[in-house]
Amino acid sequence: MKLLVCIKQVPDMESRFKPDAAGTWYSESDLAWRMNEYDEFAVEQAVQLREKLGEGAELTVLSIGPDRVVEAVKKALAMGCDNAVHIQDPAAALKDPWQIASMIAAFAKDRAFDLIFTGMQSQDRGSAQVGVTVAEQLGLACTTTIVGFEYDNGTITTKRELEGGVKGVVKLKTPALVTCQLGLNVPRYPTLPNIMKAKKKEIVAIAAAELLREEPLTTTASFHPPAKKGGGIVLEGEVGSLVDQLIGILKEKTAVLR
Amino acid sequence: MKALLIGEYREGKLLDSTYELFGFAAQLGAESALLLVGNEAQLPAFGGTLYLADAAVCGEYNPDLHKKLVLEAVQKENPDYIIFVHSSYGWDLAPRVAAALKTAQISEVTAIVSGGFEVGCCNAKMRRTVKQNNNKAVLTIQAGAFPALQPGGTPQLQRLAAEGATTLEFIGYEPAEKKDVDLGKAEVIVSAGRGVGKKDNIPIIAALAKTLGGELGASRPVVDAEWVSHSHQVGTTGQTVSPKLYVACGISGAIQHLAGMKKSDFIVAINKDKDAPIGEVADVLIVADVMQFVPALTAKLA
Amino acid sequence: MFLDLTEEQKLIQDTARDFAKAELEPVAAALDQSDDRGPLLANLKKLAELGFMGLNVKGDYSGSEAGVVAFSVAMTEIARACASTAVTVSVNNMAAEVIQAVGSEEQRRAYIPKICSGEYPAAGFALTETCAGSDPAGMCSQAVDDGDSWVLNGSKIFITSAPYAGVFVVWAVTDKDAPKGKGISCFLVEAGTPGLIVGKEEKKMGQHASATCELIFADCRIPKSALMGKLNDGFRIAAGELAGGRIGIGSLGLGVGLAAMDYATRYVTERSQFEQKVSNFQAIQWMIADGYTELEAARLLLMNAAYRKESGKSFAKEASMAKMYATEAANKSCYKALQMLGGYGYTRDFPVERYARDARITSIYEGTNEIQRLIISREILRNSS
Repeated sequence: MKLLVCIKQVPDMESRFKPDAAGTWYSESDLAWRMNEYDEFAVEQAVQLREKLGEGAELTVLSIGPDRVVEAVKKALAMGCDNAVHIQDPAAALKDPWQIASMIAAFAKDRAFDLIFTGMQSQDRGSAQVGVTVAEQLGLACTTTIVGFEYDNGTITTKRELEGGVKGVVKLKTPALVTCQLGLNVPRYPTLPNIMKAKKKEIVAIAAAELLREEPLTTTASFHPPAKKGGGIVLEGEVGSLVDQLIGILKEKTAVLR
Repeated sequence: MKALLIGEYREGKLLDSTYELFGFAAQLGAESALLLVGNEAQLPAFGGTLYLADAAVCGEYNPDLHKKLVLEAVQKENPDYIIFVHSSYGWDLAPRVAAALKTAQISEVTAIVSGGFEVGCCNAKMRRTVKQNNNKAVLTIQAGAFPALQPGGTPQLQRLAAEGATTLEFIGYEPAEKKDVDLGKAEVIVSAGRGVGKKDNIPIIAALAKTLGGELGASRPVVDAEWVSHSHQVGTTGQTVSPKLYVACGISGAIQHLAGMKKSDFIVAINKDKDAPIGEVADVLIVADVMQFVPALTAKLA
Repeated sequence: MFLDLTEEQKLIQDTARDFAKAELEPVAAALDQSDDRGPLLANLKKLAELGFMGLNVKGDYSGSEAGVVAFSVAMTEIARACASTAVTVSVNNMAAEVIQAVGSEEQRRAYIPKICSGEYPAAGFALTETCAGSDPAGMCSQAVDDGDSWVLNGSKIFITSAPYAGVFVVWAVTDKDAPKGKGISCFLVEAGTPGLIVGKEEKKMGQHASATCELIFADCRIPKSALMGKLNDGFRIAAGELAGGRIGIGSLGLGVGLAAMDYATRYVTERSQFEQKVSNFQAIQWMIADGYTELEAARLLLMNAAYRKESGKSFAKEASMAKMYATEAANKSCYKALQMLGGYGYTRDFPVERYARDARITSIYEGTNEIQRLIISREILRNSS
C-alpha cells in the first residue's frame, strides 16, 4: 500500500509578521519555521497507519518550497515516514492554491498512491483548498476536517468535525484523500535517535518547473495587518437601557448573538 | 452582477448562517439566486430563484451529488460569484466546484474591499486582499463576518435532482460530547470577579454564561475564596483564553487576569468603577452594578 | 564560518522546546512549591524515551549520538521551562558519558542503556564531600580492597537525584599515602547496595524539585568489578568529566536567563504606567539591551565550547569560560527581569522570582565561578610562560 502525506513549512505563528518588499506576502526575515500544525496530525495518522500495515507499506512525505523546508521534511522522516520528496520552489509562496495542488497532483498522478493525507489548511495561508483540489484533480474520493480515522482493508471510516462539536461519520474507499483537523490524534515528538537516523533516509529533489503546468487563478493584491481596533466604549445610565444598548452592540460586532 | 448562494441544512434544519449569505450578497450589490439541498418544509423567506434539491435523496453531506447540483445551477444562472459559508460544509464543497469550473476560489472572506476581497491569514493575525484572475469566482465567507439579512418574499422554486455513483457514504451524525469545563475551547466566557459580592451570586453569572452558550470563568480572588473551582480560573495562574466574547463581571482587571484574557475577540466589562483597569482592554465598559445588570441582561436574552 | 545549527540540531532544539512548553512548563511552578516529585519523575521518563538522557552517547549503548551542540541547545530549552528537570537531565548525561568514556565494555552495556532508556529514573555523580568542595582532591571517603570486594566508607554531600538514582558514579580514596589527587579511584555503585544510605535532603533556595542529598557509605561492599577506569586514576577522570558537565550547566543557566528576560520583556510591553507602556522608558530599554546582549554572548561561548568538544579539540578552558559567563549572565538577567516586573516580580504569581532563585545556584555548582576563573587563568598562564 502506497501512502503519501503532504506537508507545508510555515512560520511560528507567535511571530510578528511584516509585509515583504512587494507588499503581497510576509517578509521571511527573522522568522522561525516549523511544520504546519494541521500537517503534524496528518503525518501522525499516516505514520500510525504505516506502522499498522507493516511490511509492504510505504509512506512518502512531500513538501513544496525553498531549501528551508527540508527541516520540516526531516521531522516527518524522524516521525516515521519512509522517504521524502522535496519539490524545490523558492517562489512557492507566490503560487496560489490551485497551482500548489496542481504540482502535487502532477507528482502523484502516475505513482498510484492508495491514500493521501494532508492538513485541513495551512496556518499561514489558510485557504483550506489544496487537499480537496488535489483529490479533484486526481479523481480521488475525499473528505475533509477529520477528527477520527480508521482503516480496514481498503475502507476508511472517518469522523468529520462539524460546527458545535457535532461529528459526521463518513466512509470512503481507497484510493482516497483525507484532510486532517487538529485533535485527530496526538502527534508524536520525533525521538532524538530517529532525528539522527532520518539523515540516512532518501529525500528526492524535483524542480518545481518539472511539475508546474498551471497558471494562477487568483492574485494577492496586498498583505497587511487588520484595521486597528478602536478604543472601547463606556456606557453609563439606567440598567434597562444599558441592556438594550449592549445587545445591539453584540449583535452588530460579534457572531455570538444572532 | 449575479450571485449563486449555497445555503446549508443540518439534521433537517436550515442553518441561520444562510442569512449571512444574503447579507454578503447585499453588500456585494449582487442579484441572488439560492441553492439548497434541504426540504420544502423549511425554506427561507426570499423573493428570488430558489434551486431546491431534496436532502432525503441527495443527502446533507454528499459532495459528489451536491457538486453536480451546484454545477447545474451554475449552468442555469451563469453567476459571477458562487458563494458558500466557510463552514465544514462550505470549505469541503467549494474547492470541488471551483476545480470543476477551473475557476478562482477565495476562501474565508471577511470584507469586500476595493480591488478584491479581504481574507484572514497567519492565524487571523494578518489580512490579504485577494482578487480573481478570471470573471467567475467561488467565494467562502467567514462565519459571522457579515450581518444576517432576511430578504423576505416568496421564492420561485426550481427543483433539481441528482443521482449517480458516489465515492462517500455518509453514515450519520454523532452528537457533541458533554465535557468538563474547557475554557480554552469556549467561544463565550462570562467571568465572575470579586465584584459579584458573594458565593451565592455565582449562579447568576453562570446563568448568563449558559444563556450565551458559553462557560463560566473566574478571576483569582473568586477561586481563592472557593466560590468556584480552579478549572474556571482565567489569568496567569489559571488559563489563558481567547474566546469570541469575554464578559468580565465585577472584575477590576488585575494584570494577572488581563494577561489571561485580553486576546479575546470582543470584551465586555461590567463594573461599578469607571476607571477600573479592565476598561483598558474592554471594547465595551458598562458602568453599572453587576448584580443589577447581569440578571437584567440574562432575562432579556432568554 | 558556519554559525547556524544543522537541521538535525534545529529539530532537536524544536523537540526540546515543544516538549518543555507542553509538559514541563505547566508543572514547573507546582513542582517548585510541592514535595510531590511524581510529575518530575514522569517527565524524566518521557525525556528518556525521547532520547534526552544520552545525547552524546553512542547508539550501541542506546544513546542518541546527537553530539554536544545538540546537548547544549536541548539543555537550554529544557531549562527555559524547568531548571530542576534540566539539572537532572544534565547530571544523567554526565553520568552516562563518564561511563562511556572510562567504563569497561561490560560496565557500559550494564548501565548506560538503563540511564538512556529511563529504566533508571536518574543517575548520580558523587564527588563532593564536606571536606572536599572546590577542592575535590581533598576527599576523605575511602575504598579498601578486601580481597573479593571493595568496601566503601565515608559520605558525600549535595548529590543530585540521590533518592531515585539507579546508579552512582562514586569517587573514593584508594591510596591514602599517594600524593594529593593521585590516590583516588572511581566506582559504580548501584542503588540498594547494602551500606549505601541516602541521607538528609537539603532545603534549598531554588531548584526545589531536584533532590539534593547526603550519601553515606557504611561498610558498603561492592564487587571488584565496580572499579571504573584505572586504579588511582579517578581524579583525572573527574576533572575531565566536570569540564563537559560545565557546558550543561552553562546551557542551563542560559535557559533560565532567557526565560526571565523573555517574560519580563513581554510584561513591559503590556504594563502601563504614567499613561504609557513601561517599555517606552529608556531605563527599561537598557535592561533589555544589556540582558539580551550578555545572554547572546553566553550562547556563543557555549556553542564554541560545545563545538570544540564535539570535534575532539581541547575544550576545558572554553567550557569554564562559557559556564562562568553564562551563569553570571543568567543571574544578572534574572535580577533585571525581576526589577522590570517591579513588585509583581517579587511575588509567586509570576515566574520570575522562581527563575531568580533557580539561577542562583548555577554560579556555584559544577565548580564555583571562582574555580572556573582559576582554571581559565591557569590554562592561559601555562601557555604563556
